[in-house]
Amino acid sequence: MDIIAIIIANTIAYGVPLLLVALAGMFSERSGIVNIALEGIMIFGALFGSIFLTTGIVNTTFAANNPQLVVFIAMILSAIMGSLFSLLLAYAAIKLKADQVISGTALNIFAPAFAIILAWAIQGQGVTDIPLPDIVDLSWGFDLANMPNWLNTLLSKKMYLTTPISIIVLLVAWITMYKTRFGLRLRSCGEHPQAADSVGIKVLKMRYIGVAISGFLAGIGGFAFVMASSNSTFTADVAGYGFLALAVMIFGNWKPFRILFAALFFSFFKTISALAVDAQLSSIFPTFNLAAPENLYKMLPYLITLVVLAFTSKQSRAPKAEGIPYDPGKR
Amino acid sequence: MFGINKNKDTSSLKTVKEISDKKVTIISSVSSIIVGLLFGLVILFVIELVKANSDFTNPFYGFVNLMTSGLTSIDSILKLLYKAAPLMMTGLAIGFAFKAGLFNIGATGQYTVGAFFALIAAILWQFPWWAALIVAMITGALWGFIPGLFKAVFNINEVITTIMLNWTALFFVNLLFYNNPGIYLTPERTTALASANPSAILPDLGLKVALNSSYVNIGILIAILFAIVIYIILEKTTFGFEIKACGHNKNASIYAGIKAKRTIIYTMLISGALAGVGGGIQFLSGTVQYTVSSTTLLPMGFNGIPVALLAFSNPIGIIFSSLFISFLQVGGEKMQPTYSPEMVNVILAVIIYFSAFSLILSQFIRKRLNKKALELEEAANQADAIVDENAPPEEEPDEPVIDKGSGKEAKK
Repeated sequence: MDIIAIIIANTIAYGVPLLLVALAGMFSERSGIVNIALEGIMIFGALFGSIFLTTGIVNTTFAANNPQLVVFIAMILSAIMGSLFSLLLAYAAIKLKADQVISGTALNIFAPAFAIILAWAIQGQGVTDIPLPDIVDLSWGFDLANMPNWLNTLLSKKMYLTTPISIIVLLVAWITMYKTRFGLRLRSCGEHPQAADSVGIKVLKMRYIGVAISGFLAGIGGFAFVMASSNSTFTADVAGYGFLALAVMIFGNWKPFRILFAALFFSFFKTISALAVDAQLSSIFPTFNLAAPENLYKMLPYLITLVVLAFTSKQSRAPKAEGIPYDPGKR
Repeated sequence: MFGINKNKDTSSLKTVKEISDKKVTIISSVSSIIVGLLFGLVILFVIELVKANSDFTNPFYGFVNLMTSGLTSIDSILKLLYKAAPLMMTGLAIGFAFKAGLFNIGATGQYTVGAFFALIAAILWQFPWWAALIVAMITGALWGFIPGLFKAVFNINEVITTIMLNWTALFFVNLLFYNNPGIYLTPERTTALASANPSAILPDLGLKVALNSSYVNIGILIAILFAIVIYIILEKTTFGFEIKACGHNKNASIYAGIKAKRTIIYTMLISGALAGVGGGIQFLSGTVQYTVSSTTLLPMGFNGIPVALLAFSNPIGIIFSSLFISFLQVGGEKMQPTYSPEMVNVILAVIIYFSAFSLILSQFIRKRLNKKALELEEAANQADAIVDENAPPEEEPDEPVIDKGSGKEAKK
């Protein structure tokens, strides 16, 4: 029972940032902009959320009474900063019609370097990690110590505020995409912007909004990563999650619920590989007479995703106009 | 006589047009660089504002350090060259793939695999340096072949596959490391080449002793040689033409009879080989050992991205851009401990971002150049008209690039 609880808790912990950031990618790509800068946006957003939590705010009585509200504010701050940062990509890609991959790469190079410089400047020479305070741990308002051990593991060890929020984001994303006029318009801009323009949709505006939403969600995702997957320490690095989220998005065929499945699929294998390193649990994994067999298991999530992508590539349908700057004169 | 004169003028016009493309590229690169450096200086001041005890002379010293340290001593120049060599190789790998419209973000994985197999060849198999370098090339090529195959056969975006293969490469190399105990003395880094196999260290042509620096080897020469070879492939061969055609418009190139799938696979193969050689050059230098990590990818492959972008993927340009970035990196290290050497990456990011503006900028410059050319032409025409009024009007040479704005100017 305990091991199942551990697997589920870890799968969710790894899956939440992936889900959020893959949804972020979806909003951008569905509007027609390839957002390869997700990695950088995650870092940039999380940087400000983390800095906010290390200021004096944590020691106030307000924070003592409403710890999760403070975490929520930090999360929103991450989201807003992510959104602002993503507008740099939007401006280059939409207004200047620059190569979207190149401008995205510029943001990806900028964010971690900027984060290190700022952390270095604020905290003193050479210190670049920002540990988050304890208030980020989610206590559900009831005593978990008396609960069965597995329930405690499931609910308290790896859960953070971003976990329930990611479910809300998923539902809202689905409703926005498929049940609102805005979603239909956004999708049309990613499929055939000239046709969308011909019926009066402002393509450039929609694309700006798509990228801004993308940045907002990627900022939350970055903050979620720092809390859940990075031992609650900001290290100016999100371990390639922004890129993995792109893979999850493609695997999820640019659709919210399939993205959820893809995120959990990947994070499940990531959990398995993490448990293979765990001293207590590693005995149940075969070693194939190899030294350091955990490296074999660490390859698993990536290799399996590759294989799955190969098998599902036939059904994969990217938005038709993604990556192409809007040109009203083109048919 | 005047005919000759006019010919002279038009030929000079043509050269203006021919060089204008190159000139425009260089001007927009240089202006992005200047903007990037200025932005870096501004960031230094902002940091000083954020800090508790500000000292506004610091940014100037930091900036001067950044801009001069790379060239102040022979040792730092040699270090610059030493660092530029693998950077040039990964830059070439990424730039070459860019030419075919592929974004090889997996140069890191190919670099890692190439580097490690070079060390296996050197330490376990006792190969000489050139043979180890060939092993690095082949293994890097194989690692690049996989995403090429996935792109060609399954049409999976190479960005995704190469990212997956970057991490796979890291753990694959770790697995090989721990299962070949002969390659290490302590289980965290490979044995130093100086003790394991001195013949695998890249030759230094006797300069190591002469210049009293550990950074001298022929790595930079190998890298430049590769840059020239890639330039020849791209500019002088049919294969190079096919690559560029695929990069410009895949469908049109298929229509023209180019086997796009084959071209994609070959491009990734060569790109991987270049990155692999980069790994070989770095780790056969004898100054570094491969250190096992299970959390971070080697940064060299990613550093190749700005190298390629700054040079607009031109192989000869990559020689200079890698030297420039290496120069900044050597300078960036000297900014410590007041500032983080990551400053260099901020500057690079701004440079790349501003190269996005280069399209607008280059249009502007082109307009100016054309205007100048037209003025020359007009002057020539007027001279003709004054001296020989009865001569029949000669046809204007075709000027397809003239845009409306400067055309009006000419009519006046």
